[in-house]
Amino acid sequence: MNHSKSSAVLRHILLLIGVGFIILPLYMTIITAFKTPAENMASFFAFPQSFNLENFKGVLEGGGYFRAFFNTVYITALVILGNMAIMPAMSYAISRSMDTSRIYRIVYYFLLLGIFIPFEVKMMPLVKLMSWLHLLHPTGLVILCISSSTCEAVFLYVGFLYSIPKEMEEAAYIDGATTLQTYTKVVFPLLKPMMATVLIRNGLWIWNDFMLPLVTLNRSDKFWTLTLFQYNFRTEYSVDYSRTFAAFCMSMLPILVFYVFMQKNIIGGLTSGAVKS
Amino acid sequence: MSVATKSRETPVQNRGATRSKRITFALMTLPGLLLYSAFFIFPVLMGIYYGMTDWNGITRKFNFIGLANYARIFQDDRFLRALLFNLRYCIMLTVCIVALGIALALLLNSKIKGITAYRAMYFVPAVLSGITVGLIFNQILYRAIPPIGQALGIEFLSKNILSDPKLAVYGILFVNVWQGVAMPTLLFLAGLQSIPADLYEAASLDGANILQQFWYITLPFLVPVLTVVMVLTVKGGLMIFDYIKALTDGGPGGVTESVSLLIYSNAFSENKYSYAIAEAIIVGIIIALISAVQISISNKKKVD
Repeated sequence: MNHSKSSAVLRHILLLIGVGFIILPLYMTIITAFKTPAENMASFFAFPQSFNLENFKGVLEGGGYFRAFFNTVYITALVILGNMAIMPAMSYAISRSMDTSRIYRIVYYFLLLGIFIPFEVKMMPLVKLMSWLHLLHPTGLVILCISSSTCEAVFLYVGFLYSIPKEMEEAAYIDGATTLQTYTKVVFPLLKPMMATVLIRNGLWIWNDFMLPLVTLNRSDKFWTLTLFQYNFRTEYSVDYSRTFAAFCMSMLPILVFYVFMQKNIIGGLTSGAVKS
Repeated sequence: MSVATKSRETPVQNRGATRSKRITFALMTLPGLLLYSAFFIFPVLMGIYYGMTDWNGITRKFNFIGLANYARIFQDDRFLRALLFNLRYCIMLTVCIVALGIALALLLNSKIKGITAYRAMYFVPAVLSGITVGLIFNQILYRAIPPIGQALGIEFLSKNILSDPKLAVYGILFVNVWQGVAMPTLLFLAGLQSIPADLYEAASLDGANILQQFWYITLPFLVPVLTVVMVLTVKGGLMIFDYIKALTDGGPGGVTESVSLLIYSNAFSENKYSYAIAEAIIVGIIIALISAVQISISNKKKVD
């Protein structure tokens, strides 16, 4: 009894040290953003004397922040919708045809090929291709992101589809449902746990992605995402780091708020599909 | 994943139904397949072609030069240094993330008060973007750490470690682990929760100590998760870009220039377009080989 109590205390202590490591940088970011440049020069650690909002005003000035925020929302939402429309349907067709059709087997392995191809190999040709097609804008990036998410999505969905029983869809076919009806009414709802995993992984990646926007969208500030906004903000205001930290705060804010409210769903969703296979 | 299970034919399938089913399946597959071919595979093929030319990315004319770029790369000290940096970095990163990830998952798996709050807290870094985290730590390492180091009299912390050629890599590693350990911890935790508790009871009745229990019960159950984490971390380590771009931009004096950073600057600021693509393809082959070896090793372990 005594032994387990002291071990619980030890665990609390270790976990709290870790929490300190996680909180401290975020805490410093927040207090720095609220201090005047003069206060920051005096001490990096001191608590702000008054909650000075000038830095945040500076970030919001000119509307660049809101534009970047809406671009990021637009891109992330469209990629998630596109992924939901295309990937589960394709995976269903593949998983139910692969055993009898060689073509679908080839398609399946062709779609998985990309797992082994690192982004750098296609990065530069992609920029060329997108500029030929006049697609160097957020909507073009949406198309790119959907294509880039194919391999992982198909891999996870097909594996999951193999693990769920086929009795229900067979019953639907016997009752005279068409293939499309069976897919939308029976299979699609069954895919929910894996869909949560795929879409959360995708959403986090696209929301936070830096390299793809950097090579496709950096040419005009109209197209900037939040990651590009703060990166360019840092370059522009490198001297005034109070203001830069306010920009970091504002960039983290949307995803942190989202996380606070959806925390259970995000963590549950990421593991629900992942552990099964 | 089992591909071998045979699908059973439904008894009441007539010819017409099968045909319409085939058409529906084809229509379901086509959009994704076309997008993937046009915006994933086609650029890769373009890359393979450009890699064999001397194009600088701007001019209209360029020549086909076969494998000359590849021959030059293997004598290019800058590329070899970057590759060596990545391999060394990759090993350090994988060791840190696997060890710390398992340790944190074991802690977060304990049945103590407030454990759900701890779990939520430990996942926070994973939802932030790498570039934000990199830029914040860049400032913290520059402005906040040196005063602490001076006050405590710790020499290596008394100046900005990112500007020290020997220490810069550890600064990058620290930031990468700070953020990168969150997702593996979550996966390890899920793996730990899949272990039946009575296994531990039986083992402790048989007199197995904590270490033996960890070695013979916990670790075997973590092997599938371990494979996923290793493949992802190794790939991440070999392709690291965001953190270095934000923290050192390859400096000081190029000692932290990773392959991705080198490719990026060759292609976009030094007009060595085709050369950069050839570099990328070599890195791609290395990553593919390493992933294939890792996956085949873990498949063997699963069979045993």
